Order: sequence, then structure tokens, then C-alpha cells
Amino acid sequence: MVIQNLINALSVGSVYALLAIGYNMVYGILEKLNFAHGDVYAVGCFVTYALILTATNPFIAIFTGLVVGFLLNLGVERFAYRPLRKAGRIAPTISAVGIAYIMRNAIQLIWGPETFSFDLKIFKLSHFKVGNTQIGTLQIYILAISIGLMILLSLALKYTKWGQAIVCISQSIPTSELMGIPANRVIALVYGFGATLGVIGGLLFCTYYQMIYIGIGFAYGTMKAWMASIWGGIGSLKGSVIGAMALGISEVFVSSYVSSNFRDAFVWLIFIVFILIWPRGMYPAQISEKI
Amino acid sequence: MYKINKRQIFGFVLLAVFCMVPWVINNTYIIKVISNAMLYSIIALSINLIVGFSGQLDFGRSAFAGLGGYFSAVVFTTYHVPFIIAFIGGALFAAFMGALLGLLCRYSSFDYLTLITIGFSEICRKVFEQWYSVTNGSFGFRTSRPSFFGFKFNSQQSMFYFCLVLLILCYIVIRRITKSKMGRGYKAIRDDEIAAAYSGIDIKNYKMVCFIIGSFFTGIAGAAMVHYTMFAAPTNYTIDESLIMLQMPILGGLGSLPGSIIGASVLTLLPEVSRGFYLYRLLFLGILLVILMRFAPNGLLGRHGIKDQIMDYISERRARNNGKPDKTNAEEKVVTAHGRNHEG
Repeated sequence: MVIQNLINALSVGSVYALLAIGYNMVYGILEKLNFAHGDVYAVGCFVTYALILTATNPFIAIFTGLVVGFLLNLGVERFAYRPLRKAGRIAPTISAVGIAYIMRNAIQLIWGPETFSFDLKIFKLSHFKVGNTQIGTLQIYILAISIGLMILLSLALKYTKWGQAIVCISQSIPTSELMGIPANRVIALVYGFGATLGVIGGLLFCTYYQMIYIGIGFAYGTMKAWMASIWGGIGSLKGSVIGAMALGISEVFVSSYVSSNFRDAFVWLIFIVFILIWPRGMYPAQISEKI
Repeated sequence: MYKINKRQIFGFVLLAVFCMVPWVINNTYIIKVISNAMLYSIIALSINLIVGFSGQLDFGRSAFAGLGGYFSAVVFTTYHVPFIIAFIGGALFAAFMGALLGLLCRYSSFDYLTLITIGFSEICRKVFEQWYSVTNGSFGFRTSRPSFFGFKFNSQQSMFYFCLVLLILCYIVIRRITKSKMGRGYKAIRDDEIAAAYSGIDIKNYKMVCFIIGSFFTGIAGAAMVHYTMFAAPTNYTIDESLIMLQMPILGGLGSLPGSIIGASVLTLLPEVSRGFYLYRLLFLGILLVILMRFAPNGLLGRHGIKDQIMDYISERRARNNGKPDKTNAEEKVVTAHGRNHEG
């Protein structure tokens, strides 16, 4: 029973991890709350869903969804975040809330507030048994994808010129501009790729739960990804995976051993106590010095 | 001797006209909407105290409205405590929870504070929803109208005056607070925490007291709201509700108390204008917020907000037409430019 719970917790955690990687990448660089992250990538997920309904090749549909997420966040960054980069902390946060509202209302007007069943048609859903515990193949895929993406991104941040530029910008924007880094372009790209990662995470999330609805953006993409990012450490990719696992473990174990009705309340309680004791998260990135 | 200036006369006339509203308008629906706007104004004022004056971004205000409302309703209906005690008790309970949250927030900075307030509001919502024996869970809790010393506020007109008196009392107290030493301290914390600390302001305690005061007023408005609608349901106290409440002072102008009332009125009246608007409500609000933050981050009446910008523009035009710069205008512009620099 404990082992089965652990397996479930890890699979829930790996779904959150994918969402958290995208969130943390954007969050770590500017340390501005991105309230719109979830709702922006939800639009990409819904585009993929609509294309799959029209019997397009799933890979083309996924690719279109990724591109839509990317372009959307480029536009949002240009018009809602860039002009407010120096305007304190409240104004950009509120602006992001506004963007989240716009995206949510757009989804609601185009696709409606219902819950739809979702199937990506590229993963075969099956499971196998080891002793008494059931393991789904999809869960393994998701875990592999999230860890693979994490390693790939860490390597890219460390060994490519663009990655180094991102690290530089997260330390100081004026200095990186003096070094000849086109800060605006790099920040826009980070936002774009953040949304792309979000779309990947969102699609796998929808595949895992076999449904898509308007709440995947805010409830999971923003809140849970944010919690996981802070739990793991702002700006640290490894931290966001570990933080997401911690979130998944606490959710599953609280709901099976403490109370399933009060699950969210207890998870928040654990979380608040944790960040009061350990405010920088488990793996504080060396670069984050602003908070 | 106390002198009455022009502004105060204008205010009293406005108030007198406003007091006539229930006598002139017989439509109870309109009176209901106006009373609702007044109660939301109190919440907007309390949020303005926390977000606008001391610069702490709080996303969990609806939880405090819920705490005050539920406490007052449960104590009044289940335990038959006199109304006035239940009512004030609800506000004090919210203030007490605010003190607990403020205690946590002593040790955390900006982002964490926002996240902790969201977490706190989620915990509160879960408790409202799941603690069946006390709150009747998601079915909602029924209570009754307020009654003072045998007089029961049954009609819409009487509730209108109840809300009006409450709003005026809260406005006066909050205004006094913002004009006091403590209020100036909040502004200093908002503008620059480090500089405020060097000026001898005890930042942590100030923030905590700010949370307590703000929670008290949110709680009192929440309690009044529950007694007014005679119903409390956990769906009224979600994050989305908090965000709507937060937008009221932001629209009116952070740091401007009359602005909060205007913002609350606009955001409560707009959805009532037409039901068809409801579908596009979020879209409208979103575009409004983005444009507002882009061009006037301090809303309608805030420092260098839309009103100031329009006034600046008019006086600039007038000065240009006269051919010589207006002296008072030049002074004013220096002040606003100074304020602008401080925001960054």
C-alpha cells in the first residue's frame, strides 16, 4: 500500500514537475510573479485539442500548440510585462492577472467551460504489475520526459551562449546589457520557451488525467507550479523537479492517510510551514539573490 | 473655532442627497445593488490600507471576509448571542486571524507573503466547505438580518442606512489611520523599506499591525454582507473573489481612499448593468487591468493617476495658451515628477 502510494505520488509529482520547470525558468530569471503562465499555456493546449478533434496528425497538432504558446507569450511579454519591468512589484503582477483573465475568457468564449475528454493518440495507455503495485506506462513516460527536459535545459543553460546569456540576465540586467547581451530579446525568448514548456506539461497533464478543462491553467499551471518552484528553490531546474515531487508526495500521502476532504488545506499548511523554516527552498540557485 | 471649508460643505450636500436615495427610488433592486456596493467599498478601503498604503500584495482578502461573516453568523444564529456582540466579534475574530497571518508574514518578504495569503485563503475555504457541523458545508449557512435593541433591519431601506453608516464610520477611522504617524510609516515602508528602517520605523511590527487593522475592517464588511444577504456559502470566498476585491482599490487608485469607493462602485455596478456583459466580464476586466497598469499604475484617483494626468494636461494647455508658464502649475509638476521617481 505504501509502495503503491509512493508510485502514485511520484507520477503526480512528475506531471507537476513538467509544469514547474516551465514556470521556474521564467520565474527564476526576473523573479516577477507570473500569474498568467498557466492560462497562456492552457490556450496552447486547447489549440492542440481542437486540432486533434479535426483528425490532424497528433504531432502536427502538438507542434502547432507549442508554436501558439510560444507566440502568445512573446506578445504578452512585449505588451504587458516589458513596459512594466521597472515599475516595482505590484504593477507587473496585476498586469499578469489581467492577461490571465483575458486568456481564460478567450478559452471560455471559444471552447466553453465544460470538461472535455482528452486523448493525445500517441501514448498507449497500459499498465503492468510488480508484485502488488500497479505501474502505468504513461507515468514512466512522463517521468522520463520531465527528467530528460530538466537535464537538457540544465545543459543548455550551462554550455550554450544563449544559456549563459540567460544566467547573466538573471543576475543583473544592466550588467548583461553592458556585456553586449540583447536583454530584451533574451527575456522575450525565455518567456516564449517558458510557455512552450508549459504547453508540453499541460498536454501531458491532460493525457494523464484524460480530460481538459478551463481550470488546467490557473489551478495547476500557476498555483501548483508556483508552489513547486518555491518549494524546490526559485530559479533552480533541479529544484523544481524535486519540489514538484515533494508536492505530489504530500498530496497523495495526506489524502490517503490524513483526510482526503482536507487534502488541499493540509498541503498548504505543510507548504507554509516549510517555506517559513526554509524560505529559499531545497535547492536555492546560486544566482538568486534578489529575494 | 472649527472652520468649515468648501469641500466639506460639498461633502455634506452629497451625503444629504445620498441619504435621500431610498425615499426617491422605490425599486428595491437598485437599493440592494447600492448597499452591496457600499459594503464592497469597506472591503476596498481595507485592501487599500494593506496594498496601497503599506505595499503588501495580499491575494487572500476574501478569506477574512469569510472568517468575519461565518463567525458572526454562527455565533448569532446558533448561539443566540446579541447581534452587536456577534457583529463586532466577527470583525475581532478576523483581526485575530489577521494577527496570526501577520505573525507569519513578519518573517517573509514580498512573493512569499502573497503565496502565504493565497494558501491561508485556500485553507479557510476548505474549512468553510468541510466543517459541516458548524458551517453547514457547501450548502451554505443561513442567518438572519441584524437587530439592534429590538429594532430589526428587515426592509431594504433600513439596510441601506445600516450600510451607509457603517461605510462612513469605517471611512473616517481608516482616514484617521492613514493621516496618523502610523499611516505615514506605512507610506514610507511602501516607498522604500530600507530607508524606512533607517528612519526608525519598526517595519515588521508596522506590517503586522497593518494586517490586523485591515483584517478587522474586511471582517466587519464580511459580517455585514452575510447578515445582509442572510446567507454564507464557501463559493463566495475563493481566490477569484479575492482578485475581484483587489481590483477595486487598484482601479480607484492605490493610496487614495475616495478612489477605493469609486472603484468598488464601478466593479459592483458594472455586472448589474447587463446580464449579457457577464460573459465578457473577465475579458473586459483583463484588458482594463493591462491598460491601466501600462499607462496609469495608480488608477483613477491615485498619485499621478488618470485624474492627475488629465489635470496636468489641462493646466499645461492653459499655460501654453497664456504664453507663459503658470507658477503653481510648475510647482505641482515637480511634485508629481518626484512621486513618479519614488514608484520605480
